[in-house]
Amino acid sequence: MFAGASAILVLVMVLLWLAFRRGPAVRKGGPAAEERDERIWIKGLGLAFPLATLAALTAYGLVVGERLLPRPGPDVVTVGAEGRQWAWTFTYADAPGRATGGHPATSPAGRPVDVAITSADVIQSFWVPRLAGKLDAVPGHVNILRIEAWEPGDYAGLGAEFNGPGYAGHRFTVRAHDAAGWEAFLAEETP
Amino acid sequence: MTDILRLALPLTTWLAAFSAVYGLHGLVCSPRWAQAGLGPETGRPVLLLAAGLAIGLQIALLLALRRSRLAAPSPLIRRITTMLAVSALVATVWTLTPVTATTTCH
Amino acid sequence: MTPSPGPLTALRRHRALTRIWASDPGWKGWFTTVNHTDLGRMFIVASMVFFAAGGLLAMLIRAQLASPRSAFMGPETYAQVFTMHGTIMMFLFAIPLIEGIAIYLLPKMLGSRDLAFPRLTAYGFWCYALGGSMLIVSLLLGIAPDSGWFMYPPLSSSAFSPGPNSDFWLLGITFVEISAMAAAVEITVTILRYRAPGMSLARMPVFAWYMLVVAVMILTGFPPLILGSVLLELERAFGLPFFRPEAGGDALLWQHLFWLFGHPEVYIIFLPAAGIISTILPVLSRTTLLGYAWVVAAAIALGVLSFGLWVHHMFTTGIPHMGLAFFSAASTLVAVPTGVQIFAWIGTLWKGEPQLRLPMLWILAFFVTFVIGGLTGVMVAVVPFDWQVHDTHFIVAHLHYVLIGGFVFPMLAALYYWMPHLTGRRRFFRLGETAFWLVTLGFHLTFLAVHWVGLLGQRRRIHTYDGGDGWEVINLIASIGGFVSAIGFALILLDVAVNAAVAVRGPRNPWGAGTLEWAMPMPPAPITSPPCRRSAAATPSMTTPRCPFASLAAKAIWAIPRATGAKR
Repeated sequence: MFAGASAILVLVMVLLWLAFRRGPAVRKGGPAAEERDERIWIKGLGLAFPLATLAALTAYGLVVGERLLPRPGPDVVTVGAEGRQWAWTFTYADAPGRATGGHPATSPAGRPVDVAITSADVIQSFWVPRLAGKLDAVPGHVNILRIEAWEPGDYAGLGAEFNGPGYAGHRFTVRAHDAAGWEAFLAEETP
Repeated sequence: MTDILRLALPLTTWLAAFSAVYGLHGLVCSPRWAQAGLGPETGRPVLLLAAGLAIGLQIALLLALRRSRLAAPSPLIRRITTMLAVSALVATVWTLTPVTATTTCH
Repeated sequence: MTPSPGPLTALRRHRALTRIWASDPGWKGWFTTVNHTDLGRMFIVASMVFFAAGGLLAMLIRAQLASPRSAFMGPETYAQVFTMHGTIMMFLFAIPLIEGIAIYLLPKMLGSRDLAFPRLTAYGFWCYALGGSMLIVSLLLGIAPDSGWFMYPPLSSSAFSPGPNSDFWLLGITFVEISAMAAAVEITVTILRYRAPGMSLARMPVFAWYMLVVAVMILTGFPPLILGSVLLELERAFGLPFFRPEAGGDALLWQHLFWLFGHPEVYIIFLPAAGIISTILPVLSRTTLLGYAWVVAAAIALGVLSFGLWVHHMFTTGIPHMGLAFFSAASTLVAVPTGVQIFAWIGTLWKGEPQLRLPMLWILAFFVTFVIGGLTGVMVAVVPFDWQVHDTHFIVAHLHYVLIGGFVFPMLAALYYWMPHLTGRRRFFRLGETAFWLVTLGFHLTFLAVHWVGLLGQRRRIHTYDGGDGWEVINLIASIGGFVSAIGFALILLDVAVNAAVAVRGPRNPWGAGTLEWAMPMPPAPITSPPCRRSAAATPSMTTPRCPFASLAAKAIWAIPRATGAKR
C-alpha cells in the first residue's frame, strides 16, 4: 500500500514538473486537441486508473476484514472487558466470578480469544496494537473483538478513544500464558 | 430548474437507495427480524433483491434521461446529465456489491 | 431617489446608485451594513481572526508535545486546547471563510447587483459573530468545551461534563450553523435566480457551479448536526434520554448524526477550494479549463457521494462487517471524482503555458500536499488498516494534509489572486515568497513526523507521553516544523497588511482573467453592476440589471473560459 501510494505521488509530481518544463512549441489548440486531452487526462488518468486501483484495494481490504472476523470455533476462549474512566475490568467465561483489574488481563497463548467489550460510563476503545486492531467500548453495546497471541508473554494495551483527563494513563496489559499457565490461572482460588 | 432536477436525480436516487439498503441491513441484523419469524438465512436474498432493484432503477433513469423528450435542451447540460447518470449507476453497483459476499451480521 | 438635474450620465448614475447601496459612513456602517461587498470582507476578516486564535492553540499543543512528561499544561487544560483548536478551525474559520469569499465574489461573477436577500447575509454574519464570541469567551474564562471537537456523549453529557463547558459548544456552534444555513440559502437562490441575463447554467463560471453544490450540501448536511446539538442540549438541560443507554437512548445516535454532518463537511470545505483552483489555474496557465463538463460533473458527484461515507468515521464502533463494507466501498469510490479533477487540472497545465506566479506556487503546494493526504485517505478507507491507525496521530496527520493542503493552501492562492481586486493595489513587497517556503516546508516537516509517530502508536489527544519509545525526537521535529510554519503564516499576514496599506495602485484585471468580477472598478464600488453600454433602468432594483450579457460577450468578456479556441 505504501509503495503504491509513493508510486502515485511520484507520478503526479513528475507530471506537474513536466507541465512547467515543456516549452510552448509543442502546444496546438483546436477541438481535436481538446478531445484528445480529455481522453488522456480525464478518461484515462482521471477515471480508469483510480477505478482499477481502488477496486482492487477495496476487495483486498474486505477479504482481510472477513478473515479477522470472530467466528465460532471449538477452542475459542471468551474474556469480558469492561472499560470505565480510567481502568479496565476483565472477566472470564471459564472462571465465573473471577475478575481482574487493569493489570493484567490474562489469556491463553495460541488460542483465539473473543473479547466482549463494553463500557460502564463513557465511550472507550480497546486496543492491543500487537494483537489486533481497536474496537470501541460503547455503553449499552457489547462488541466482540477476536485476538490471538501466538507466543506467551505480556502485550501492552491502551484505551484509544479520548475519555477525559486520565486518558493518557489509561493502559492495561494482556498476559498470555501457555496451556499449563492458563489452566493454573483458571484453577486459582477467587481472591 | 428542470436542468437542476435532471442533474440531481440519479445521484440522489443512489443516496436514497444506499441508505435504504444500509437501513434494511440494520433491520435484518436486529432481533426484530427473528421475532418476525424470519431466519438469518433470509437476510441475504432480501438484501440482494433490494440491491437489484436499486440497480434496475438506475438503469431506467439512465435510459429515460437520454430520451429526447426528457433530455436537457443545452448540449452541455445533456452531457453532464449523462455523465452523472452513469456515475450514479456505477456508484450503485460499486457500493452495493458487498451484499453478495461479506458476512451479514458480524 | 431624488431626481437628478440634467442628463443622466454614467458617472452621475453611478453616484446616485452608490448613495443608495453604500453602507452608512463611519463606525455605524459596520453594524448596519447589508452590502455584500462589506459583509463578505467582514466574514473574511473575522474568519482570519479565528484562524489566528486556532493557530495559537495549535502552537500550544505542539509546545506541550515537544518533550515527554511536559509540565506545560495539565490534562484538563490540554483537553480544552485541542477541543477548541478543532472546533475553531472547522466551524469558525473554514466555513465562514468560504461564505465570506462566496458572498464577496458571487454577485460580481454572476453580474448581479447584490445577493438575493441582503438582510439575511447580515443576519448570518451577526449569528456567526455571536456564536464565535461565546466560544472565545469560554476559552478565556477557562471553561471551554473539553470533550474533543466531535463531542461524543456520554463524555460530553451532564453526567461526565457537569460544568458549562459543553453547553458553550452546543449553543455557540448552533448559532454558527444557523449562519451557515442563512448563507447557503442566499447562495443557492442567488446562483439559481440572479444571474445576468444571457448567462445560462451552461455558461456559468465554474466557481458558481462549485458554490451551488456546496450550498446545497450545507442545506442538507447541517440540519443533522443542528438536530444532534439540540437533542444533546435538551438531554443536558432537562434530563431527556436521547443518548443515555440506561434510559433507553443510544450513544451511537450522536455519532451517526454528527458524522452525517461531519463527513460532507470535509467536502463542503474542499469543494470551494477546488472551485477556486478551477478558476485560477487556467488563468495563470493562459488557457481554458480542460474538460469543463467533466469538472462540473465531478463536483456534483463528489457532493452527493460524500453523503454516503459517514460511517467510515465509526469503523471501530462494532458495526457488522457488511455495513462496514458498504462504507469502505463508498469511501474508496469518492476518490474517483477527486482524481478526475486533479488530472483535469494537470491536463490544463499541460495544455497552457503555466506561469510561476505566487498564486500558482500555492496551487503547486496544494497538489503535493493534497495528493499525499488523499493517498493516506484511501489507506484509512481500508477497514483492517483503519482498525490499527484509528485515533492515532496518523489520522491527525492525514486530516491536516487534507484540510491544510486541500483548503488553506488554495485559500492562500485565492488571497494573492484576488488581493488586487480587494485593495486595488499591486503587490510591491515580496515577503510572500519567503512566507510560502516557510509555511510549506514547516508544514511538511511537522506532519510527516506526525504520520510517523502515529504509525509508532502515539494516540491522538494524549496530553503527555513517557520517554523511551523513540517518540521524543520525532515530536520535537514536529514541534519545530509547527513553529516554522506559524512564523510563515505571521509573515503572510504582515505581507498582506503592508501591501494593502502602502503599495502602489495596480492596473485593472492584472491577471487577464475572463470572469466578470474583474470587469468592475477596483477596489469595488458598493454597487456591483457589470459595464453596460446603456441602462434602461436608472432606479436600482433587486432584479438583475437590465444589461444584456451579450454586450459583454461582444467585448470578449466571457463568464467561463470555454473551449472556443480563443486563447488570451
